[in-house]
Amino acid sequence: MRGRPLLFISYESDQALLNTGTKKLMMFLFLSLLVVIPFFAPGSIGEQGSLPGPDFLAGGDWLRLLSTVGIYAIGALGLNILTGLAGQISLGNAFFMGLGAYTAAVLGSPEGALWGLGLPMWIWLPGAGIVAALVGIFIAPTATRVRGLYLAIVTLGLVFIGEYLWRNLDFITGGSQSGRSHPAFAFRLWKEETPLIDFSKDGTWFGVLNMSSEAKTYLLILGLTILFVLLAKNLQRTRSGRAFMSIRDRDIAAEIMGVDEFKYKTTAFALSSFFAGISGALLASLVGRTIPETWNLFLSVEFIAIILIGGVGVVSGTILGTIFVILLPRLVQDFTEWMEGVVNSGHGVLASIFDVFISTGPNDFGLVNTSAGVAPGLGIDQLNLVIYGLLIVVFLIFEPLGLYGIWLRIRNYWKSWPFTY
Amino acid sequence: MRIKSKWLAILLTLGLVLAACSPSGDEGTETTEGSTATTQGSTETTEGMTDTTEGAMDIATDVGVDLDAGTITIGYLTDQTGAFSPLVTQINAGIEAYWADINANGGIHGLQVQLDFADTAYDGEKHVQLFNEKKDEVVAFGHSVGSPQTVAITPGLQEQGMLAIPLTWYSGWSDPAYNSNVVPHGEPYCIEAMNIIEYMVDASGIDSPTIAIASIPGDYGLDASAGAKLAAEALGLDIVYDGAGKIIPGDTTSYIDVGNAIAEANPDIVYHTGIPWLGWPEVYSQAVITNGLEAMWSGAAPSWGPNYVAEDSGIRDEITRDFYWATVAKPWGGDSEGNTAVRDVMTAAGAAPSDFYAEGFVESQIMYQALNIAYENGDMTQAGVLAAAKSIEAVDYMGLAPSDDYVGEPNDTVQRVGYVMRPDPTSETGSMLVQPDYTSPTAAAYEFNEACYQLAG
Repeated sequence: MRGRPLLFISYESDQALLNTGTKKLMMFLFLSLLVVIPFFAPGSIGEQGSLPGPDFLAGGDWLRLLSTVGIYAIGALGLNILTGLAGQISLGNAFFMGLGAYTAAVLGSPEGALWGLGLPMWIWLPGAGIVAALVGIFIAPTATRVRGLYLAIVTLGLVFIGEYLWRNLDFITGGSQSGRSHPAFAFRLWKEETPLIDFSKDGTWFGVLNMSSEAKTYLLILGLTILFVLLAKNLQRTRSGRAFMSIRDRDIAAEIMGVDEFKYKTTAFALSSFFAGISGALLASLVGRTIPETWNLFLSVEFIAIILIGGVGVVSGTILGTIFVILLPRLVQDFTEWMEGVVNSGHGVLASIFDVFISTGPNDFGLVNTSAGVAPGLGIDQLNLVIYGLLIVVFLIFEPLGLYGIWLRIRNYWKSWPFTY
Repeated sequence: MRIKSKWLAILLTLGLVLAACSPSGDEGTETTEGSTATTQGSTETTEGMTDTTEGAMDIATDVGVDLDAGTITIGYLTDQTGAFSPLVTQINAGIEAYWADINANGGIHGLQVQLDFADTAYDGEKHVQLFNEKKDEVVAFGHSVGSPQTVAITPGLQEQGMLAIPLTWYSGWSDPAYNSNVVPHGEPYCIEAMNIIEYMVDASGIDSPTIAIASIPGDYGLDASAGAKLAAEALGLDIVYDGAGKIIPGDTTSYIDVGNAIAEANPDIVYHTGIPWLGWPEVYSQAVITNGLEAMWSGAAPSWGPNYVAEDSGIRDEITRDFYWATVAKPWGGDSEGNTAVRDVMTAAGAAPSDFYAEGFVESQIMYQALNIAYENGDMTQAGVLAAAKSIEAVDYMGLAPSDDYVGEPNDTVQRVGYVMRPDPTSETGSMLVQPDYTSPTAAAYEFNEACYQLAG
């Protein structure tokens, strides 16, 4: 159907994941870009080498940040299934992430002062998802009894119950403010000493291609993220996915049409918790050591923000939202520090403009200070919170479809260009 | 509305693109310099000195030291907006003024020191992320705030082979199991508890006083509580209430419960460790103001807040009557050469008097010595600076704090000396030094081979 990409003559082609040639090409280019990034990060291959790439990728902290994006995306996709697709508002994501993290820690950490079975990653990672899903199934019946704000309150309660449990089950969690270490990313067949692939240390994959730990971890997370994106995307096209959406749009109507509300709400909870459990286990392993306070309400709110900013109910929106929410603080920080550099150099028009925003010392007033916090103005972290809050408000009022909505408009504008519509 | 939001979208996108294009790897932009006047004034010196530096000897460098530009960059994993920020920002003011002064006087063999503060907001995940961001930009970390956070970056420090100075007094930092890449300073929480409790027992004049112990959870509260229990055992004190780890920061009910429980136990001495801005005064008020308990009261060093003796604090008279604490460095009004330096430098920087600047000077002094030794060894790599710090047998604090030793055995090197303090509403900083260089017999006799409180897993 060259030249008429939107003409579909079969149900399969209409429902295909990438239903136009442009989408296929763009997806191919995007995925290729994601895969090759670590090969262009200075220092990621061998001792110091890589293909020629931008300096800012050196040292692996950007790769780590991108790995964090992948991990958050998995959790956000889970929340999107429950909230975006099935319409069940949940604040309980942090609880299920914590559950996943501690399941992984018990299954995967070596025996020691705290509970640990020392099992390999192919057990602890799915195990984290499965345990979270089972608890999700246990919670689900409440969702069939209450809806909307009441469900939000029930799931909010979960976060607090979780915080209480994590603080007091110190033989598992290490106790409040002390915390515990989590199993590192390493692929073992069983409990052998040397792992087949050790993602947490620089080295080779099966004896070939020596890469940095950050690059290897990034590729692992990228693979997992793609897997979960496919799962989430495919779910929308299944019987269950359609049932979720019918429940979201009007649960009573859905039930009258024969959709088993109890069954599908339970499925949605289980799936969402599974995603969250995996995400929590990965996040804890990436960080290395977490304290029980990590899995708090703020984490849940962060996930709500991701799907609101990205676009509720849309997989690509969720990914966009995650990229935005995780990378924004870093971009704000780098931008502020760059402005500070210009101000300190003291030359040019830019320096005088930026000087209004940047506070460089105790006697220099400005909006932001990058210094030790003794100068007036907001710290970068506080500035990020302000921006974050503003964005949620702005998106809710002006663009309820989130970043995905913006993308749709940009796309439609160029589709019909030079005509307005 | 439609048009407006379109523009908004474009603006947002543009902003992001702009921000993304900013050169994040540009090291020069990521640094904070001390007091502007001094630093700018010293720029010329730097350039002048660079030649000498290069000509003088062959120096190995890798990260954070640029001999051509004549700069050394030290990183700080600090807390500017989190639970301990009111205290840490004052320590940071001390650090900034210290290095501005060093720079103005020629720096480290002519190399100017630049400081790179990264705000972790006392959050573990952010701490690890910022560590990974900064580890390839700075030669060493001038401080790393928080024990679980610092433990979390220990594998990274080991892999990178670099030094961090912990801004926490967890006793594990003197334990070989944890301290491969850190150099501690000052008495750890548990030793501090032994010192201050024995001091209070002596001061009370009671034969065998009873004690109540309460704290927040975590290394800080539990390490201090562990020390208090060891002291109680050694001195034969009866522990009438054990609330170690029972105060939950942010949970008001726990403040009231613990406060009531302490009052009910009616002890002669209370050892209560917490966060001065988050629950500490509430627990104290509940026991002392609401329930009318009269007892000698103490808590590990960061429990103290100078605002307690402010007129509107509501606990000024009681706390002035009851409270004792210990510090790791001589306070603002101290008589040492180091104190004079702190007062001169801070006054010149326009800062108000505070006891906390001394801590900034003490940790900077360790770094100063390590950098100088590394320079003299001709190895200013990250590993070189770590090795230099680990070779120091006596840090010279100019009398500001008892000297630290990073070479000997833990039992010989763990710091056992502190400064006993009392509140004084009439002094500039709200405190007065009542006993300098104090080591209690209990602390002196304590066999230190491992951390008093073990971080699990």
